[in-house]
Amino acid sequence: MERLEKNDIQQLAKQLMFELTEEEAQAIQTEFDVLQKQLQLLEEIDTEGVEEMVYPFETPTSFLREDEVENVLSVEDALKNAKRVKTDYIVLPKVVK
Amino acid sequence: MDMHMMKASRIATSEHARIAVEKAHQVQPKLNAMVTFCDIEEQLEHLKEIPTDAKFYGVPIVLKDNVSTKGIRTTASSRILDDYVPVYDAEIVTRLRNAGAIIIGKSSMDELGMGGTNLSAATGPVYNPYDLSRISGGSSGGSAVLVASGVVPFAIGTDTGDSVRKPASYNGIIGVKPTYGRISRYGIIPYASSLDHVGYFTRSVRDAALALEVLAGRDDRDMTSSYHEVEAFESLTTGSIQGMKIAVLKNVSEMLIDGELKQQTDDLLDKLRNQGAIVEEVSMKEMLLKAALPVYFIISNCEATANHSNLDGIRFGVQHGDQSYEDIMIQSRSQGFSSLIHKRFVIGSYGLSEENQERLLRKAQKVRRLIVEELQRILSEYDAIVAPASLSGAPKIDDSADQLSLEYLIAENYMGIANFSGYPSMTVPYASVDHLPVGLNITCRAFDEVTMFNLALAIEDITGLRDSIQEVL
Repeated sequence: MERLEKNDIQQLAKQLMFELTEEEAQAIQTEFDVLQKQLQLLEEIDTEGVEEMVYPFETPTSFLREDEVENVLSVEDALKNAKRVKTDYIVLPKVVK
Repeated sequence: MDMHMMKASRIATSEHARIAVEKAHQVQPKLNAMVTFCDIEEQLEHLKEIPTDAKFYGVPIVLKDNVSTKGIRTTASSRILDDYVPVYDAEIVTRLRNAGAIIIGKSSMDELGMGGTNLSAATGPVYNPYDLSRISGGSSGGSAVLVASGVVPFAIGTDTGDSVRKPASYNGIIGVKPTYGRISRYGIIPYASSLDHVGYFTRSVRDAALALEVLAGRDDRDMTSSYHEVEAFESLTTGSIQGMKIAVLKNVSEMLIDGELKQQTDDLLDKLRNQGAIVEEVSMKEMLLKAALPVYFIISNCEATANHSNLDGIRFGVQHGDQSYEDIMIQSRSQGFSSLIHKRFVIGSYGLSEENQERLLRKAQKVRRLIVEELQRILSEYDAIVAPASLSGAPKIDDSADQLSLEYLIAENYMGIANFSGYPSMTVPYASVDHLPVGLNITCRAFDEVTMFNLALAIEDITGLRDSIQEVL
């Protein structure tokens, strides 16, 4: 059975743009072991020739909406929750100093 | 009183909302259910423009805190959204307001909807009105207890695995998850897009049927919303079950070890037979039902990981860090999410990685199809599938955790199959164990909410559990 090492867990967290405490990494490792046991249940099920089910109803959409602008947020609204704004831009720390 | 009684009562319309606000404040120290209280005076002023026969005219309601409300803080019970104020309303907010509803507040939930206990909310646990040492259930726990304790007759929840139906069972109220696509999700902070549904709580089946007339219908801003006709659910809900074929899910019912609950279940089924229903035990393939939890866990975490990549503290939400934009993202996401969310995202990312996608995500999606085909097989012969929504009342807070477990794998997790299929599913109260309520889950064919409501009304008529309120004052 595959085991996820703490380094792998920290690497995954890094890709997700957050850091884990030692306790968090430990808890994930423990739960991952339970997950592996549950995944064995999946592996026992024969899915040869079965298509993935991605959404509940697979009704194809056979039309396109009119190419008209609608439901647009104003620039003012779009920036309302940003912490620092200057002339319609969100301000972030300088990259080149 | 339920919505129907409220509208028929002699109390002035505006008073219902004021009474609800007062009661919500009174129960808050005990239930901890509300995240934000809304100002109702402006809404009451707006009510003057609404026809008095509107379906929610003057009815005080609560929204789960993942429903976007223009100008009103919406946190999804996550620290990272603690100061987020949406600049638009969710479609359901517009519909409810146009129908005369008065929104008195935004309710607590498991962080970002990812849990079944409501213990992970940034504002702390929500407590069960039947026993304050027990969980409300989640993720729509705040909404559930505010309906159960009589604060409001209606509250919005969302249901990705059983997040409306399980808390409804634990709190002795109605919990409805209609067909996927029935209710627009525009403006709902997502969890897992292929499983997320808008649902709701009421204290009577009549109210539940009426509410769907307001909430259902096509919305062009939600590409998954359905064009299906919105029926006159209330008038079609007569409670007639003559000739209805009901499958009792044996995989769950045979797990009933509690003599009291088994007796109450058998009694109810006998009474349904006496009313002309054909009630038979039916089994699903055990292996597929056991797979329901891992299928749910993989699909939901993979989808959530992708959905929540926009929570970075830059465009909105609480910001930490100041060295660079990467520093802002990392610090905001490290401090803004709880450990539970970090765990879910790591597992989701693991499932999405190139080397694991075939073995995990795609495999789970294939098994999802097999589970749905098994459900279809039963519903091709039966009008409804029923089973207890849980094997007992709400667990003690100390005994609850949102962790994977191999215990009671089927009985505690089977309701997610209605999210896999998108079929309508609801919980209606029917039993009591040690003074704690337990609900019966009903699942029907796609877009056949009328059958579901008719069976629920028949059960409500049998049990008399209509408009039950558990006072906590």
